[in-house]
Amino acid sequence: MIDLSTVVVTGLGTVDAAGCGRERIAAAYRDATTHWQSVDLSAGYHASQASQLAGLTRGLDLRPWLAPAKARRMSLPSKLAVAATKMALEDAEREAVEASELPTAVVVSTAHGPTSLIDGILRQSVTKGPMAVSPALFTESVANAPAAQIAIACGALGPNLTVTQREAGVLIALAQGATEIKTGRAGCVLAVAVDELHPMLHAVLGRFGALASQDADGNEVARPFDRHRRGFVAGEGACAVVLETDSSARARGGRVLARLRAGGSAFDPHAPRTGWSKSPAPLAAALARFLERSEVAPSDIDCIVSGASGSVTGDRLEALVLKSVWGNRALPSILTPKAWLGEHSGGMLSAAVLAAEGAAFGPTPGFTTVDPELGVHPHDGSTMRRPGTILIVSLAVGGAAAWTLIERAEA
Amino acid sequence: MGLGTEGLGVAGLERREAPEPAQQTVVVTGIGAVSVWGWDAASLWRGLNTGQTGIAQAQRFKTTGHRTGVAGEVPAAPVGLDSNYPDWRRYSQADRFAVVATLEACRQAGLTEIEGSVASSTEFLSSDIGLFFGGSTAGMAEGEAFFNHLVAGDRRRARLQLLASHPLNGPGDAVARLVGITGPVRSFSSACASAGLAIGAALDALRSGEVEVAIAGGADSLCQLTYAGFNALRAVDSRPCRPFRGDRAGMSLGEGAGVVVLETLERAKKRGATVLAELVGAGASCDAHHMTAPHPRGDGAALAVQRALGDATIRPDDISFVNAHGTGTPHNDASEWNAIETVFGTRASKIPTTSTKGSVGHLLGSSGAIEAVATIQCLIARQVHPTPGDGAVDETFGVDLVTGAPRNLAAATTDVAVDGAGPERAFAVSTSFGFGGANAALVFSRESRGAAL
Repeated sequence: MIDLSTVVVTGLGTVDAAGCGRERIAAAYRDATTHWQSVDLSAGYHASQASQLAGLTRGLDLRPWLAPAKARRMSLPSKLAVAATKMALEDAEREAVEASELPTAVVVSTAHGPTSLIDGILRQSVTKGPMAVSPALFTESVANAPAAQIAIACGALGPNLTVTQREAGVLIALAQGATEIKTGRAGCVLAVAVDELHPMLHAVLGRFGALASQDADGNEVARPFDRHRRGFVAGEGACAVVLETDSSARARGGRVLARLRAGGSAFDPHAPRTGWSKSPAPLAAALARFLERSEVAPSDIDCIVSGASGSVTGDRLEALVLKSVWGNRALPSILTPKAWLGEHSGGMLSAAVLAAEGAAFGPTPGFTTVDPELGVHPHDGSTMRRPGTILIVSLAVGGAAAWTLIERAEA
Repeated sequence: MGLGTEGLGVAGLERREAPEPAQQTVVVTGIGAVSVWGWDAASLWRGLNTGQTGIAQAQRFKTTGHRTGVAGEVPAAPVGLDSNYPDWRRYSQADRFAVVATLEACRQAGLTEIEGSVASSTEFLSSDIGLFFGGSTAGMAEGEAFFNHLVAGDRRRARLQLLASHPLNGPGDAVARLVGITGPVRSFSSACASAGLAIGAALDALRSGEVEVAIAGGADSLCQLTYAGFNALRAVDSRPCRPFRGDRAGMSLGEGAGVVVLETLERAKKRGATVLAELVGAGASCDAHHMTAPHPRGDGAALAVQRALGDATIRPDDISFVNAHGTGTPHNDASEWNAIETVFGTRASKIPTTSTKGSVGHLLGSSGAIEAVATIQCLIARQVHPTPGDGAVDETFGVDLVTGAPRNLAAATTDVAVDGAGPERAFAVSTSFGFGGANAALVFSRESRGAAL
């Protein structure tokens, strides 16, 4: 367990399938609207009958936060991450990130990195020979390109880290960012989750059988925890939060959106490399231990922001882990942002911060039928009391897991 | 020797009092390495001290048309090594480097008595052990094979198995799965600073009490994407790299892994482990300057070293030698020398400096890990390994580059007792500077403060 107390969130920026900015994502969550688009199938990577939809950022105008001349040299993840960070700084009313004596750190999580550039380089190499590889593409193909571009754009001279622990990375990055503050290495942290969904990645996920396939009505829908879930809808986007100490925020008159309390992570070594474990026991024990060390009882938690995505085995594992820890107690409200945005980890950050602020959430898109084995009802759109304590949970393919406790500002 | 499994259950757990961060002493009790010199740390150390480079013509794939054809390739695994690993055939090359280096480090640390089997390894591992791993390519080589088949329209040979370890968390997860870790597992990919940052994160976790033992390091394998990319950037030397030489012309790519077992001194003492060195401090920074070029003055690099020294609560004068990032590119070495001068002032030219990359090549995301291992080996042996490469040292630098043969550690400070074999106490800094200006520095000590080794 990592003690994150005294670290607060003062800014939120989002670029995702719902659009740009906290108002757009808040409206999507409230209105229960999804914005799936068709994936480009022209490269021929996809099998016939493959899933075709995803939560994409195609067509969004990032110019208010990123000048076209600078964007031209960036990969899509870099563009999304820099734009979301600029939004978060605006939201935090922090223009100069080096305002404090301590430097600003950048911690980014990404599951797959800039996949479009990797595809581009491999395609150049295969079709035209290795000498044809573009140095510009290669430069931006590294996983830490978004973190570097954020630092360049914001003049952030503090530690610069990129976490690559799949779905769990977003919460590991959040805790790492808070640690940079707690240890006195940074006065401000820009913590960002960014994912890109390239057609090649989409096709590969489809071949693994991970994506929501078409139902009888021809729809591809993410149905977290639903009896009829058939996989997740892929997604992309960026979500950035500004972290600083409570005292720092107060000193500059900043608005506190949420307070971090504790972070933790664990691993199930019995999980398959490309899926989730069948047994909830190891991660349930780890989550219970985390809560105990955080001195938080399950009954203290008012809301869970879940990483459930519609994955058949992933949602099952998460449900069984939660039910194991809660025992006979009723689970609190469960938000599943991936039902809105697809498999983009940043959605968990935006949903958690907005929930802490008291934002309204509509009924979970796609959810119709309780899975009798899981017995979990994601949020049904009823009025939700503003939560005091929120648990964010993310269980990754391959065995990693992470959780974070956050609290509303007045708690 | 086992570590016990207390803390695995939920009931009956006692809330641990985490020590104040700076008070917790963190020591190294095991090291492991895979490199061009072989599949263990001993062969690395032997190779480093030959003063010769292991970099040679690459065999793994065709290099025709590139600026260079050389690389620091890991030789074929020793016959029978694979029998220790049930998943060997399913591993990517980077996974293999990672698991072999890890088990070597764990064995040395006394964390396992396994010989020929990993089955018993879960007996000692608990949730108080964490894994912190860095890398930049993971299963890219295998991903390339998948892609080539896919583009060629051969879907049958484009097996999904080739992609199972493609994600950047692949090697770390493979290690965690092999040794049965149930604590935190964290993968980092910040280009060439990845493993240095991962080791720094492990230090945080140990100091805060989040874990009591950390396996930290990194692994990367050669792949055509990075080989072509660095060639396209004209960042490679046609000959084996020559760090800090006047006629240096670029880097040489390498592959392999480095792993250290870290634990609190208290825990190491309690279980009677042999302490190899102390990880005294870590520092990180960002140039915030350019995606590929280092800051010409080395400002960011200097900041990382200064922060590491501050974290270690030692002075620049306490440093006995520097294991430099030392890639051999004109810009990096110049920038790094400026950083060394910034940190050490007039003493900069008197500090023995070496570059492990001259011997094994640039291991990219795992370079900080194998260089941490090399630094620890230097401290243990009380000698600094030489930097291979011909040509005179760049006369615009004042760097005291160790060349030709190993050099015994000289007194770095007046308060260090010196005898013919070198100082009784020595601090060394190992640096890693990556694409995008990500910088990491680690400070190791031969002697654990508060306890003789």
